[in-house]
Amino acid sequence: MKKRLLQAYKQSPWRVQLQWIGLFLLAVLLVATITGLYLSVSAQAAAAGRNVQWLENDIEATTSEISDLMTKLAKAQSTEKMAARAEELGFHLLDPESAIYIEVPGFDPDSAVVLAPPRSNTVINTPLIQDSYTSSLWDWFTNNIWMGSDAASGGGN
Amino acid sequence: MKPPFYMRYVILLVVCAILGVGIVFQMVRINYSSSAQELIEKSASYQGFEETIYPPRGTIYDRHGHVLATNQIAYEVGIDLKFVSDAESIAFSAASLLDLDYADVFSLASTLSVGEDENRYFVLASYVDEETIDELQSLKESYTERRRETGTSKPSLSGLVWTAMEQRSYPEGKLASNVLGFYNYFSRETAQGVYGIEETYNRLLTGQPESVYVPNDPYQVEALPNIDSGASLVLTIDRDIQAMLEKELADAIEWSGAEGGTIIVYDPENGDVLGMASTPTFDPNEYWTYKETFPNPTPYNRAVGDAYEPGSVFKVITMAAALDSGAVEPSTTYEDTYGVYWVENTWPIYNWDGGAWGEQDMVGCMQHSLNVCLAHVAVDLLGEEEFYKYVQAFGFGRSTGIDLAGEANYPLRLPDNNQWVVVDLATNSFGQGIAVTPIQMVMAVGAIANDGQMMVPHLARSVVDGGQQYDVASQVMGNPISAESARTLTSMLTTAMEEEASEALVTGYSLAGKTGTAEIPTELGYTSTETNTSFVGWGPSDDPQFVVYVWLEKPSISKWGSQVAAPVFRDVVEQLVVLMKIPPDSLRVQSSAE
Repeated sequence: MKKRLLQAYKQSPWRVQLQWIGLFLLAVLLVATITGLYLSVSAQAAAAGRNVQWLENDIEATTSEISDLMTKLAKAQSTEKMAARAEELGFHLLDPESAIYIEVPGFDPDSAVVLAPPRSNTVINTPLIQDSYTSSLWDWFTNNIWMGSDAASGGGN
Repeated sequence: MKPPFYMRYVILLVVCAILGVGIVFQMVRINYSSSAQELIEKSASYQGFEETIYPPRGTIYDRHGHVLATNQIAYEVGIDLKFVSDAESIAFSAASLLDLDYADVFSLASTLSVGEDENRYFVLASYVDEETIDELQSLKESYTERRRETGTSKPSLSGLVWTAMEQRSYPEGKLASNVLGFYNYFSRETAQGVYGIEETYNRLLTGQPESVYVPNDPYQVEALPNIDSGASLVLTIDRDIQAMLEKELADAIEWSGAEGGTIIVYDPENGDVLGMASTPTFDPNEYWTYKETFPNPTPYNRAVGDAYEPGSVFKVITMAAALDSGAVEPSTTYEDTYGVYWVENTWPIYNWDGGAWGEQDMVGCMQHSLNVCLAHVAVDLLGEEEFYKYVQAFGFGRSTGIDLAGEANYPLRLPDNNQWVVVDLATNSFGQGIAVTPIQMVMAVGAIANDGQMMVPHLARSVVDGGQQYDVASQVMGNPISAESARTLTSMLTTAMEEEASEALVTGYSLAGKTGTAEIPTELGYTSTETNTSFVGWGPSDDPQFVVYVWLEKPSISKWGSQVAAPVFRDVVEQLVVLMKIPPDSLRVQSSAE
């Protein structure tokens, strides 16, 4: 049998060479796959990083734009502009002696402006982010599987 | 037997080994060379940079939510040498649109981008407005189009860059500028609020800047920390009242020929300052010009920063002290036989007209503003100890604690002070020889309008910080007199105004008030013919909702407060009752009866 195999190899050594080449190509393919995966993940991470930077810039630009629009609105509604617009529309300053007062129940002429909710001391006890989003796989495993099985076994006592 | 090409393989191996050893040696050598640290530092500069993030400065609103100070986008325009290809076009556009010198810009843009200048950046202009940037942008685009059509490399604005930056903006322009102060934003690192609210609440408005490391490596990029913007402030100022006051003050100064003045409207119940006009005024959007408007020693806000002898408006304080201590009653009489009051071993005190007014009760003394009567009350009935006890209880001689930077305080000259002389007690009783600020007078008179309770004047109504709104509590300064004394005095001054048929009366509303005409001291004494005219009043008399103080400095049309300041008070109150929606007394009383 050994003799026959040796003879077969000697007659066609390309078979063994083909096996080695196959193994080598397999290794190359494996390395290429791992490299490809690494590159893909790296590229995605880099793209995400750049995206974060762009979004940060967008946030800054949007915040500035909001401020800018607020300023433009405030300028458009300034006392001087409003008085000029009122005059254009035919309004004139009220003569105090011709003012007519009508009592409106519940109307407070000096009600405080509310720009944000008033200060409150409410404490939110429930965490906003669940543990599963912040703990490591090992922590999650020990807390939910290991401790879970402990609890299950403890329950039987 | 050696295989074929053996020597060649050996040589190749030796060469590769030498190369490898050489590379390793070079790596070790570079790591330990003298310039290694320099190289490491240089490489670190490419890895990222430290950036200080400044939170947006808080917005300032009036009591109804109208914006008084906020931020807008402006731009910094500069030259990035790495990308400059056409210095002439850059110089031309900067000269025409940014009003810069062509030669200077050309010189900067022509700097060779090599060696130390490789990454050079020159700032051409800061805080350029959006319209100019739009023009630069369209010029840049038109140049790009032209290059595409002609296939040439010029004209080009490549290298001319602009970045957005925050600029403090005051949408109302000059309105309330004496109250707001300004923010000197040109240098971000040293920028701070100057004068007024901007200075007082600078730290609150600024927020907390944070320094962060920003990596260039996208793998290391993390979201920047959330930095809360500076707190916003809601002021007690009413924009419409403020605009009205500033207009009335400007008209009054023009009409009376006064050198300056101030008008304050104050809510005696809680200390809210509803309006505060002062001269001179300027546009804080161009804050760098403020020294032209306020040369030394002009105070930024006369209402809080200028002490002066108030004159007869101070008689209100003297009479309040006398009533509260029980020294007088409204019906107490004084016989003004000669129109003169002698303080022992000093000089005589005369009435404002030099005449004698015969027998007068206390209402008459206030109505005719008799100096001799008030001197008699202070010297003979109150005495120095009682008088100054009340003066101090009304807050004179110390700061009011108003939340505005630059409050002046002239120390009170008391009997235990070497500079105090006997005649001071008499002159102080009618507001001469004593220096006060308008806001001190307002706070003190506010106590009389508020049943004896004196409130600290303030301008911050609430603070918006971290997404929540905090109301600022009113503070009680003290109770210098009883509620009964306060009401009695209000009633006396209401009667006095009505019987005098004062220029300050407003149809339909009962008001209490007092005029003031004060001589101005010079180095040689009271030798000047110029006066300070003022009027303080409050109303409606049965339920005071406002105190109005008018001070006009050195009017030329007349030297009397009754002729200059009183009509201004009337004009202000006529509009104030409409803006504050206070109905006439008849309607108000009828409404409350129902």
